[in-house]
Amino acid sequence: MKRLHGYALPYIVWMIVLALIPTLFLVVLAFSDLALFNLGSFSLTLANFSIISLDTTLKAMGNSLKFASITTIICFIIGYPVALYLSNLKEKTRKILIALLIVPLWSNMLLRITAWEKIFTPSSIFTDIFGLSFDLLGEDIAIIIAMVAMYLPFMIFPIFSVLEKLDTKLIEAAKDLGANDFQTFFRVIFPLSAGGIVSGTIMTFLPSMTAFALPQRIGLGSTTFIGNIIESKFRTEIMDFNGISINQGSMISLFLMLFSITAFILIVKFDKEGETLI
Amino acid sequence: MKKQSLFHSILKVVGLLLTISTFIIIYLPILIILIMSVNDSTRGYGWEGFTLKWYTALIVPSAYPEMTALPNLLNAISDTLLVAILSTIIATVLGTIFAIGINALSRKNRIRMVVLNNIPIVNPDIVTGISLLIVFSLLSFTLSFYTVLIAHVFFSIPYVVLSVLPKLKKLDPNMYEASLDLGCSRASGVGKVIIPNIATGILAGALLAFTMSIDDFVITYFTSGDEYLNVSTWLYTVLKHPRHFTPAVYAYNVIIFLITIIIIIFINNVRERKEKISHEKNI
Repeated sequence: MKRLHGYALPYIVWMIVLALIPTLFLVVLAFSDLALFNLGSFSLTLANFSIISLDTTLKAMGNSLKFASITTIICFIIGYPVALYLSNLKEKTRKILIALLIVPLWSNMLLRITAWEKIFTPSSIFTDIFGLSFDLLGEDIAIIIAMVAMYLPFMIFPIFSVLEKLDTKLIEAAKDLGANDFQTFFRVIFPLSAGGIVSGTIMTFLPSMTAFALPQRIGLGSTTFIGNIIESKFRTEIMDFNGISINQGSMISLFLMLFSITAFILIVKFDKEGETLI
Repeated sequence: MKKQSLFHSILKVVGLLLTISTFIIIYLPILIILIMSVNDSTRGYGWEGFTLKWYTALIVPSAYPEMTALPNLLNAISDTLLVAILSTIIATVLGTIFAIGINALSRKNRIRMVVLNNIPIVNPDIVTGISLLIVFSLLSFTLSFYTVLIAHVFFSIPYVVLSVLPKLKKLDPNMYEASLDLGCSRASGVGKVIIPNIATGILAGALLAFTMSIDDFVITYFTSGDEYLNVSTWLYTVLKHPRHFTPAVYAYNVIIFLITIIIIIFINNVRERKEKISHEKNI
């Protein structure tokens, strides 16, 4: 099978064209006045930096980081015990429960956001059927609840897949060597699940940080995330052919890329073959 | 019988409670979608009685001329399904070929390729969307159905590769070499020996690619022009203009949901039967 390595070549070309070149271009756009839709001469400039120092941008960055951190921490606190609990179940129940965790992901994400919007409106279907009212639309707590519900499975799966594969002999060995359950957990099980925790954290933190439809719908547009600014720079403001908005948007995207690059370094360190990613 | 330690029992109770809460919180929106799909209300602010009209409207739209928002939704549904089917087929074929290539590399290069492969998975959708938007404008492609299709193939391939690679690793490389010795060409050896042995991985990858595509919002949003809408981008637009919203989208979602569950149960059954047969053979 070794002689089939040529099959990987077109993939390198494909990734260079669709992933590497645009990334380099994003850097050029961010640090110049190059017009994306009217390529021509350009000069390097740091003027686009000004977008980062705008109050609205800083606030959006702060919001993104704040909500993403809170969501990730809550997802971890709930997700780790759930993954541990599920991994200790009998094989049949375990398989069924994991499948049941995947099933809701097949519902359209925007429709699930719409459903949360319905739950949080003062007088909703919920009030009619269950007599309950959660008047939370526009509140921070509503955004956090919806985000946790949206991204929790992505924290559970990677941790679960590491715990499920954990060699039980190691646990027995720890016990034979005199460790109690508490010590076994914190000195054997927990460190060995580090790869899953890293993947889970990344898979919850990055999407919640870059969310833009969810904060807009549940937060009633009053809580701006970094994604909302990028959206307006790349989608709405393009309509009036204000070229500079793309360059400013690129600058903000570079800021986001710092986080993805960190994520990459962590994943390469903890999970070389990407086994916890799906 | 070993006595359960206090630590273990606490862990068990906490785990059970959190697992129950997890299921409640992730099934709550699904419940709402289900209720709304049979609710006789266009605006959806309350319960106005049971109806199946949103389902029948999807099947015989001509019977409901008063649902003015319906044609746009139906267009979006057919565009979504078309892109999902085409991108799944293309991504599955390419992803399988690439995975076979990656598996043949030395360990060091293989890890490098897997890192490259993971870029679209780890990168936030918004960054992937913008990157593709930049490539398309560099190549002066007009944003349309085709740019969306390329984008979906792009973000689906990595999932196929990650599903197929572990199966390839388990495959005995001597089998392929034997097929060559027995007169297969390189390509027919791949088709006759490798592909049948990694079929479950390919199928899992295809299923993943399909669900990713059918559900995508962010990347489609950035790579589609004004005329192409999938269900997600349609929904995003109409949520801002509620007059154009129709609850038939809830019904669509429930139908897709049920179809996926049936497919998964079917595949699982087939796999279990196969495993049982091979198990019995080994005995």
